[in-house]
Amino acid sequence: MIRRLIPRSLATRTALVLLLGLAVVQIAGLTIHAFDRMDIQRLAQVRDLAVRLMLIYRNVSLAPPQQREDVLRELNRAHDLVAMLAPTPPAGELPETPPNLQRLLRVNLNLVPLSAALRPREFSMLGDPAWGSMLVGMQMPDGQWLNFHADIEPPTPWHSPTFLTAFLLMTATAAILTLWAVRRLTAPVRTLARAADTLGRDVNAPPLPEDGPSEVATAAAAFNTMAARIRRFVQDRTEMLTAIGHDLRTPITRLKLRAEFVDDDELRRKMLADLEELEAMVSATLAFGRDATATEPVSPIDLAELLRTVLDEAGDARPEAADNLTYEGPPHLTVRARPFALKRALANLIANAISYGGSASVRVVPPLAGTIGVAIEDAGPGIPPQELERVFEPFHRVESSRNRETGGVGLGLPIARNILRAHGGDVTLSNRPGGGARALVTLPA
Amino acid sequence: MEITPHILVVDDDREIRDLLARFLEKHRMRVTPARDAREARRLWTAGHYHIVVLDLMLPGESGLDLARWMRTQSDIPIVMLTAMGEETDRIIGLELGADDYVAKPFNPRELLARIRAVLRRAGETSPRTEPTARSLRFGGWTLEPARRRLLNPDAVEVPLTGGEYDLLVALVERANRVLTRDMLLDLLRGRQAGPFDRAIDVAISRLRRKLEDDGRNAQLIKTVRGGGYVLAANVERA
Repeated sequence: MIRRLIPRSLATRTALVLLLGLAVVQIAGLTIHAFDRMDIQRLAQVRDLAVRLMLIYRNVSLAPPQQREDVLRELNRAHDLVAMLAPTPPAGELPETPPNLQRLLRVNLNLVPLSAALRPREFSMLGDPAWGSMLVGMQMPDGQWLNFHADIEPPTPWHSPTFLTAFLLMTATAAILTLWAVRRLTAPVRTLARAADTLGRDVNAPPLPEDGPSEVATAAAAFNTMAARIRRFVQDRTEMLTAIGHDLRTPITRLKLRAEFVDDDELRRKMLADLEELEAMVSATLAFGRDATATEPVSPIDLAELLRTVLDEAGDARPEAADNLTYEGPPHLTVRARPFALKRALANLIANAISYGGSASVRVVPPLAGTIGVAIEDAGPGIPPQELERVFEPFHRVESSRNRETGGVGLGLPIARNILRAHGGDVTLSNRPGGGARALVTLPA
Repeated sequence: MEITPHILVVDDDREIRDLLARFLEKHRMRVTPARDAREARRLWTAGHYHIVVLDLMLPGESGLDLARWMRTQSDIPIVMLTAMGEETDRIIGLELGADDYVAKPFNPRELLARIRAVLRRAGETSPRTEPTARSLRFGGWTLEPARRRLLNPDAVEVPLTGGEYDLLVALVERANRVLTRDMLLDLLRGRQAGPFDRAIDVAISRLRRKLEDDGRNAQLIKTVRGGGYVLAANVERA
């Protein structure tokens, strides 16, 4: 349950942890700040109170005793401070004043200049500013008490006009910086993932840059080493296949010549057919092994005619399917391509459609957003969904097709995809809703 | 074709040399086999040949060098045996002046058909006075023999099947002359299976489509009453 609430991406997780930590630090900092402010406010309030009390005391004590009530009435204007004359010190249900505040108040009360004769004989304090009110009494030299009841405003640690703005600004900046830093720090992970993905499609993908923080550089170097090993492995295998293909040409040629001396027509025909098949396999292997597109220059070619030519040739080679080969699309469409390679790719796809589906209908979608689409459809049984992508792996074939009728070594589709991707296009397979398979070729217009 | 054609076969594989010799002799040709370029040069000076079948992959001196040397000696037709899929070899070979090529592993009957077609062409035009053209221009279209390709007036390649290409070359090389169906049949033999008669008509109609030559009212490839075709255009060689 909790697991599901944890975000999946490393960047989000890291950002979340950092932001949570930041929040804790912020809250602690704010609390300390608030306590500090409260203390300072208390001190200021007490000092302020002391000065006010002393001023009233001086005025009252300077006046003749019978006029004191009048003076007091004059001075009793403030709503938070009430003064009265009494024969006794103030009393009330209030706690003791903390000793440090008592000391502070006493010191401050003595700050106001007053002749020695007028100094209060005694002080009496009750209450705590934290409780909101204080009772302070001062005995005048003639023994009468001047008692005060002061309301003390509760401290307001947050009441600063710039506080909220500053706090929000700080939080936002910290959050943005955190997100930026985390994204930057986790970027190499994304780069690595992308590189691994690219390597899966193209072993000759350029290596990762081995710079940045040491851990990232080490990971990139390790990745590049792995990629180089895979590349060497693939190269070795392809070179071996190419070598076998080259070596097979001579014996196949000999066998074809020998077959010509077989008198039995039927036997000779069958031998030649077998040899053709063998040759087709060798040819496919060689085409896969060679970087077919590297040497051939790019030139303009009529794609529409190329498709029709491939269909014509397929029809000539397999007259039984010739009536099921159709072309639909513009009569001419120029693309820039490597003619031999492109023809091979399209021929492989069309041959596949005929082999597995008994027909091939080719439809060219005119350029849209810089892409030309070519759909090659058949009316066969289609391809199991889990095989749609795997059939592009070299030597992989749909299990049910591993029989003599459909032949092949499982290189037709990988070759087609290699060539089309080298052209900046691609090919994907899907099953048509009405049945049959569809190969969708894309090419840059 | 009363005389027996004499063929110099240059291939480094003894079995292939022997089998090819037996095969071609079975089809009424005389064969002198050579193992490498050195032996080929020795036999070249010792005999007289009508055509050379030359493997490009030879030990020591390469087949391309040998072909280049032979071209300096005479106009003898050369059919190259190229390694399957090695397009560059083929293009260089054809640019050097080889008359045709067959990819290894080849179909013996196709090789035989090519040899016959090249011999016929050589017999018609011999002695050859002009070297193989780099390009043939007709009615705005361009044929490039070295690359076996056709370019439209906008220099865009219009793909052709092997048979269509051979047919078009034959028509262009003999522009404004009628080619009988029999001559065209020879060209396509060995190229494809199926009934050849129909194959000619199909190939011509496809060529017309590709040359944007309206089949009903063809201007470029005209049908000749009595069975034949003619390319009605002036051909520029370059």
